[in-house]
Amino acid sequence: MSRAGPLLPMSVQIKLSTTLRDCVPGYVPETGLFIDLAEGEATLTAGELAQRIGLPLEEIKIVMINSRQNDLASPVRNGDRVAYFPAVGGG
Amino acid sequence: MNGSAEQSPAPAGDFLKKTPDGPVISADGIRRLALIRKCREREVMTELLRQDIWPERFSRCRGTLSAQSLVRLLSIKVLVAGCGGLGGYVAEFLARTGVGALTLCDPDSFEESNLNRQRFCTERTLGMAKAEACRNGILDIASYMDVTVHIEALDEKNLPVLLSGVDVVMDCLDSLARKKMLETAAAHAGVPCVQGSVARNEGLVFFDGSRRLPFSIIYPDEETGNLEGASMHTHAVTAAGTAALMVSLLLRRLCHDKNDDGRLFHLDLSVPELETLCFSAGD
Repeated sequence: MSRAGPLLPMSVQIKLSTTLRDCVPGYVPETGLFIDLAEGEATLTAGELAQRIGLPLEEIKIVMINSRQNDLASPVRNGDRVAYFPAVGGG
Repeated sequence: MNGSAEQSPAPAGDFLKKTPDGPVISADGIRRLALIRKCREREVMTELLRQDIWPERFSRCRGTLSAQSLVRLLSIKVLVAGCGGLGGYVAEFLARTGVGALTLCDPDSFEESNLNRQRFCTERTLGMAKAEACRNGILDIASYMDVTVHIEALDEKNLPVLLSGVDVVMDCLDSLARKKMLETAAAHAGVPCVQGSVARNEGLVFFDGSRRLPFSIIYPDEETGNLEGASMHTHAVTAAGTAALMVSLLLRRLCHDKNDDGRLFHLDLSVPELETLCFSAGD
């Protein structure tokens, strides 16, 4: 289940960049999304989290968890802030 | 410069203006001194700055740059790869900040769809080579600069030539594949590279001087494809903001000895916010 906020101890904040925002109708850049993890769902991967909100994995090129580079296989925990970027190469 | 009246028929003092911040010299004064002394304007500026006499054009930079930093900037040559959305603003900011020499490289000409964001695209310059229009604009700002133009795409053949004698590269290209190629060539030549990219309301900028290949770390997939289409979807504010960030990182390194290795700056003007991220390999 996703919602507009705030970040609770049992939730994950998701921020989307540029074209990935098109995949989530109503995405609000200021707040991002908040996903509440189910009880007992201690961790899931960044890829599983992305799929849960409908992001096409092949378009995700950069994964940042708590502002550090990770990848789609990296575990996400409650309270984490996860940012997904497509390739950004315009000049 | 400090010689007697006999040795120097036009001492700098004749051209100085007093200001509350100290003496300054006008662009006309610098030109005349350079003519009289048969030297380049940048040499005049450098010598005066060493005496803390500032060219009037840079006098409002006091407090943000030291005279010593300005001397350094006047001495460097920067390759601006790509003269479109990012490159035009980057070139302008470098010229207004005191960089002495630019090499501008872009194979394309201005089209009407560039008018929304590209610094030197005007109704008058439509159809003109971007690098040429950029040079004209830069020389209108700072006629003493050395500006060379290459109306060609970067490739593995011309990169070693273009990088020769260059102190810093500003990567303003619009294709991840060419960005990776430039990064590799610059690292091979030992030339540090400030990298910037834009899409929509966002910009990504980094300046890693550690000789790693940050683009290859950030985008480990080999097949990144050509993103020229994506670059068309942004506007002047994002291009200018991202370009400002690129030049700021350069100034942090050159003038303030600050190290931004491993840091990826994400400018999101839709919020707006600037976030500092860390890319991982080599940490």
